[in-house]
Amino acid sequence: MTAVLRILLTMGMACGVFTPVGGAAASDAKPLNIVFVNPGKTGEVYWDMVAQTMKAAGRKLDAHVEVLTSERNYRTMQELGLGVVTRPDKPDFLILSNEESAAVPVLEAAEAAGVKTLLLSNTLIGEDAVRLGPPRQKLKTWLGDITTDLQTAGARMANALISRARAEKWQSPDGKIHILGIGGDEITPASIARNAGLKLAADAAPDVVVDRMLFANWTQSEAEQVTANYLGWASRKEIRPAGIWAGNDPMALGALRAVTAAGLMPGRNIEVVGLNWSEDALREIKSGRLLLTDGGHFLLGGWSIVLLRDYADGCDFAAASAHIEVKTSAITRTNLGSVGDLIKNRAFDRIDFTRFRAKAGRCGQYDFSIDALISSLASLEGTAD
Amino acid sequence: MRNDDDMTAPKRNAQAAPSRSVVRAMIWATVPVLLVVQLLASAGVEISSFWSQIRQLDARIARTAESRGELIAEPLWKMRYDQVTSVLSEIMHDETIAAAAVYDDTGVAIARVVARPSDQAVSEVSRPISYTNGNIAVQAGRIVIAYSYATVYADTGSRLLLLLVVGLLATFATLIAMRISANIFIGKPLAAIMSAIQRSKQDGRAYPADIKSLNEFGQLARAFNAMQHTTSGALDRLGHMAAHDPLTGLPNRRSLSEHLVTLSNDAGSPDSLIAFCFIDLDDFKGINDTFGHDSGDKFLVHISERLRDAVEPQDWVARLGGDEFVVIRPEVSNEATAQAFARQLLNAISEPIRLHDKQVVPRASIGLAVRRAGDPELSHLPALADIALYHAKSKAPGTVAVLDEALQRDYRRRRDLELAIPAGFAEGQFEVWYQSQVDLENQAVVGLEALIRWRHPEHGIIGPGEFLPLIERSGNNARLTRYVLTDSCRALQRLMAAGKPQIRIAINLPPSELADHSFAAELRATCARFDVAPSSLELEITEGSLINNMASASETLHRLRRLGATIALDDFGTGYSSLAHLRRFPLDKVKIDKAFISEIPDSAEDKAIVGVIASLAGTLGLTLVAEGIERPEQAEAMREMGVMLGQGFHYHRPQPLDAVLQWLEKQAAPESRVLVDSPSIAPEFAA
Repeated sequence: MTAVLRILLTMGMACGVFTPVGGAAASDAKPLNIVFVNPGKTGEVYWDMVAQTMKAAGRKLDAHVEVLTSERNYRTMQELGLGVVTRPDKPDFLILSNEESAAVPVLEAAEAAGVKTLLLSNTLIGEDAVRLGPPRQKLKTWLGDITTDLQTAGARMANALISRARAEKWQSPDGKIHILGIGGDEITPASIARNAGLKLAADAAPDVVVDRMLFANWTQSEAEQVTANYLGWASRKEIRPAGIWAGNDPMALGALRAVTAAGLMPGRNIEVVGLNWSEDALREIKSGRLLLTDGGHFLLGGWSIVLLRDYADGCDFAAASAHIEVKTSAITRTNLGSVGDLIKNRAFDRIDFTRFRAKAGRCGQYDFSIDALISSLASLEGTAD
Repeated sequence: MRNDDDMTAPKRNAQAAPSRSVVRAMIWATVPVLLVVQLLASAGVEISSFWSQIRQLDARIARTAESRGELIAEPLWKMRYDQVTSVLSEIMHDETIAAAAVYDDTGVAIARVVARPSDQAVSEVSRPISYTNGNIAVQAGRIVIAYSYATVYADTGSRLLLLLVVGLLATFATLIAMRISANIFIGKPLAAIMSAIQRSKQDGRAYPADIKSLNEFGQLARAFNAMQHTTSGALDRLGHMAAHDPLTGLPNRRSLSEHLVTLSNDAGSPDSLIAFCFIDLDDFKGINDTFGHDSGDKFLVHISERLRDAVEPQDWVARLGGDEFVVIRPEVSNEATAQAFARQLLNAISEPIRLHDKQVVPRASIGLAVRRAGDPELSHLPALADIALYHAKSKAPGTVAVLDEALQRDYRRRRDLELAIPAGFAEGQFEVWYQSQVDLENQAVVGLEALIRWRHPEHGIIGPGEFLPLIERSGNNARLTRYVLTDSCRALQRLMAAGKPQIRIAINLPPSELADHSFAAELRATCARFDVAPSSLELEITEGSLINNMASASETLHRLRRLGATIALDDFGTGYSSLAHLRRFPLDKVKIDKAFISEIPDSAEDKAIVGVIASLAGTLGLTLVAEGIERPEQAEAMREMGVMLGQGFHYHRPQPLDAVLQWLEKQAAPESRVLVDSPSIAPEFAA
């Protein structure tokens, strides 16, 4: 009996080890069926772009991506997710985002149904993380997560502001560089990480004061309002505002409007930074009013398909870590030309996602940097390459 | 009348001053105090509550400011000014808050809400707004809340009003409760006691107050009832004392009047006869004087016991006072039976009594009046019986006098005359008549006796025997004596004028004048006025008047004799006929009473008596006068026995002076004999 089992186990292990290798080797493996439950609203730039890159990657990597939009209703999101796992014809993978921790019940249902899941952008936090532990332990079908390193993004944005202010000598009478921070919220991990990046950068710079960390619910109008309030306050306090750090592009655009309304000239005597690589932000960068927009994390959609393709083909990203953290990148006037058009036209098919797949024997090791991205584009543009 | 006054006085007082009831006084005394205390207490509580509310409001607003500050801190710090405003606006639901504002750390008003224009008593509270998170703790600004005490005022006002109303209601309820309970516990018992007092006042009996309660009023009522009981006994005793003679225990004069009222009612028929005996003890004064007043009282008690024993149960015995008793027999068959009953009483009284080991035989006179029970003048019975008694006492002491028509007539006449005395004097109705005294030897008039007469306009000429006692009783003796003296002096003048200066005039001197020391002086003055010699006057006195006041009588007589007047002892032989008197007093003449003369010469006894008197007078040197000589043989007998002078109808009746003068005139011519009246002994040495 034992001998028979041992043989079976050995055979299984042999299959497990060699199949990915074989898979990775065989580029024309079987097509994948992937469902993404989009937590965002239709028209919400980031999530639209996530879904679009996902689909573009699917097309490149022989995966059918189905996007279900929950329209920012977490109940709907759960219902959609639960609906997917109870389908008779279950997908190969289910991609969820744990916004507001709403994905947990779906994760558990998927575990029960044997549907493999990947968390995108927002992973398990707090009590859920403690309870459910790391991927593939309690929840065997939860393969892992792919998130962006937003803290670094936040710090990079802040540092750009600080460098500029220092260079322009935008110190207030107290000799300090005064910055306003506008966060989206105070609870979501995505927001907390960015804000932490700002704080990290500011703490590291003794000549910098973040006057306030204001929150604008990710929206332009509220950001405009709080910025206007801040500017009024600053003028009463005889503070010369040097820069405004916004947790996303809409809020940066709101801040821009308030700054302009207050008679300041963005890019000339004050700088504003945003995050998201949004089209409007790129336009403002082009016009010189916005210093930079960090981001590119909408590419998580595409990257997630790359991961799942590799996984399906036997090259498990968990070989390195089940938690894939992707660094974001800043678009400034310098590199705007390379990616601006890509984003503006959402020409994600120009990205050669196959180039981002793990190399054989280096499963789990990916280069999702903007340079890699640009080079992938370049290679696409420069067909000569 | 006094009683009536006493009875009505409290009523008048009660009407004049409206009675203030205890209950009302209590209510007036307590209810305003209660109300004031209640209102003051309520007001005090309310004021303290007001201040506490003010403090609470201050604290609440401060808390509100603090809590709002906490809520506002984050949006303020995070410059969500719209949220600041909306959070601030929420507190405006509190209607005490008039306005609120939030200032940021630059002092600029970030939010400002005004609920209503601040009208009154706006207070303000200001609190800093602190913002803290994990990294920082800053003062983000300040919250200021302006609030009004108006609601507290209004609240307090309405509660005060409510308290006032409740207080008034409570007071009203207390008033009612007090009124009811006071009526039950105080008013009723007092009224019961009051009613008992009123009833007691009405008929003099002691009524108890009907109170059963065990409280103080119950005790008061029991004490009152005990007192009523005591009073009742005392009243009974008092009533008995008022109606009874304490000495004999017999009903008194007051009882008599009450008894008389009931007599007619108690009688079987209006025709039944009532016998009223008015009893007066004779010479009770003598008993008192002789044996002392204690014995006199004992004597009276004896008499009362005898009277009680002598009567039947239906009879009624009373003592009116002094020595006067009344016995009433409510039913007698006729006047004779009544008289027999009265005599029976006299007999009972007359049993001898031992006083100080001496036998005393009580004597009494009874005036008896018999009247029909239906007689409307039954209340006059005592007066009627008194008339009879008067008669008995004056005419026949120790007998029963029955009131008849004659007695009543006499009584009425007596009353009339008594009342007419002042008019008699004023109108000169009293006249002095003169009767001559004649020398038995030669029939010559030697003197005249002045005799008073009353020429009454209705009753005609009235003799002195009838009216002199009335004069004496009315206290007019002196006046009458002076009247007679004056008239006599005038008569002497006229006698002198008529050439009869030797005729003297004799005046009867009543005992009262004999006691009057001034009389002698008055006599001299009167004589001087008419210019007549006092020696022309003769003063006639009775033995009785001498005995009553020997010393002063002797004094007066001596004075009169010193003036020259002669003194004659009148009516000798009827009274004491004391030989000692004849010696002791300065007498000139003795007048033998006519009682001894009338039977002479037939009565040998009287002749013997007169003879003894005559020899005695001769021995003592006294001139004898025989009174009441009506026949010549009497005059002859007198003369034979040595009586010198005579007086009587045989010679002359008393006549007015004019008639006397006329007669003297006629007789004067032939033989006018002068009787030289020369007292044998000088008056000065007589005594």
